[in-house]
Amino acid sequence: MADAEEGPTGSVSEPLDLVRLLLDEVVFVKLRGDRELKGRLYAYDSHMNLVLGDVVETIYLIDEDDEDEDIKTTTKKVGNVICPR
Amino acid sequence: MPDMAEPRKSSSTYGRDDDPLTYFFKTLIDHEVTVELKNDIQIRGTLKSVDQYLNIKLDDIQVVEELKYPHLSSVKNVFIRGSVVRYVHLPAAAVDVPLLEDATRREAANQAGKGK
Amino acid sequence: MEHHSVHDPPPQPGGPHPGGIMSAQAPPPPQAQQLPPQMFTTAAQLLDLTDKKLLLVLRDGRKLIGILRSWDQFANLVLQSTIERVFATVITPQDPHPKGLYADKSHGIFLVRGENVLLLGEIDLDKDDDPPAGYEKAEFGLVEKLASEQKAAEKARATKRLKKLATLGFEGENMGEILL
Repeated sequence: MADAEEGPTGSVSEPLDLVRLLLDEVVFVKLRGDRELKGRLYAYDSHMNLVLGDVVETIYLIDEDDEDEDIKTTTKKVGNVICPR
Repeated sequence: MPDMAEPRKSSSTYGRDDDPLTYFFKTLIDHEVTVELKNDIQIRGTLKSVDQYLNIKLDDIQVVEELKYPHLSSVKNVFIRGSVVRYVHLPAAAVDVPLLEDATRREAANQAGKGK
Repeated sequence: MEHHSVHDPPPQPGGPHPGGIMSAQAPPPPQAQQLPPQMFTTAAQLLDLTDKKLLLVLRDGRKLIGILRSWDQFANLVLQSTIERVFATVITPQDPHPKGLYADKSHGIFLVRGENVLLLGEIDLDKDDDPPAGYEKAEFGLVEKLASEQKAAEKARATKRLKKLATLGFEGENMGEILL
């Protein structure tokens, strides 16, 4: 069995296994709402709850009264977060 | 075993059947955290309890923008439904990164084992 | 020990948590591990809050204040002496800072279905009589009218924002749950 030789952490057989390969890497996360995150992935679970370190959050600020105005963004450093699904 | 790297508070506080994230969350009990809700309210307080849905109990709370959110002014502790939480801001010192990553890998292997 | 989990044995009447009503109530069922996801707080946590004055924030944004008298395994709650509290801000031409208003309406006994509760907090009785900082009491009808106007305006803005965000590939954050 190839899986057995590779050990329990080596195989890629389902989508979340790709997330596993990103552990300890800096990842980009697009959230519901108006936010994006960049941070180092420390942990995740099957619900895609995430624990991230050194996070930079980007919030899209929208002037809802001006139809043509460009969308602005604001970023801030927020440190470590748990980000529930 | 990384689990044994430091003494844990009590075996009954951290159920063996907890998934790793819930388990990790429970290691933060008695630490100061800031919970940011999906309506932008941020509540700072001492983490007192957390469950499998990431429902959270905080003690000695303080709302970050009190003027904007007056309704919690006389409230001392809260339960927050896990589904309304956007982020939990953690104290960096309380995060044991290698332990978390190992636990996540182990759980991933576990899940893969169940699937077969 | 202060921390409880759903795995703890159900409390016994006359145990460390006195309270007349508790002994009249069946203890939580032993199959607590299989509780449905809509249950948002464990029985043990509600036990601590029994007979306390609480603030509830509901899914539609309403704030209720009342004394928790009973509850069940789904976190359905019975509140006594319930009041609904509304908040609004007014901008007067003289003062650049918006002024906060609040008002209360008595409702008596409420049974609140657990799934509607987003957040609940225990009220510090020492601070209970102080008005929230920056807010003063006003007539209920007035505050309610202002609050509903402000809520409607906010909803219209949110709809526009959502439309613009969709062009960036974003999806709404709290579909179905209107917040505080």
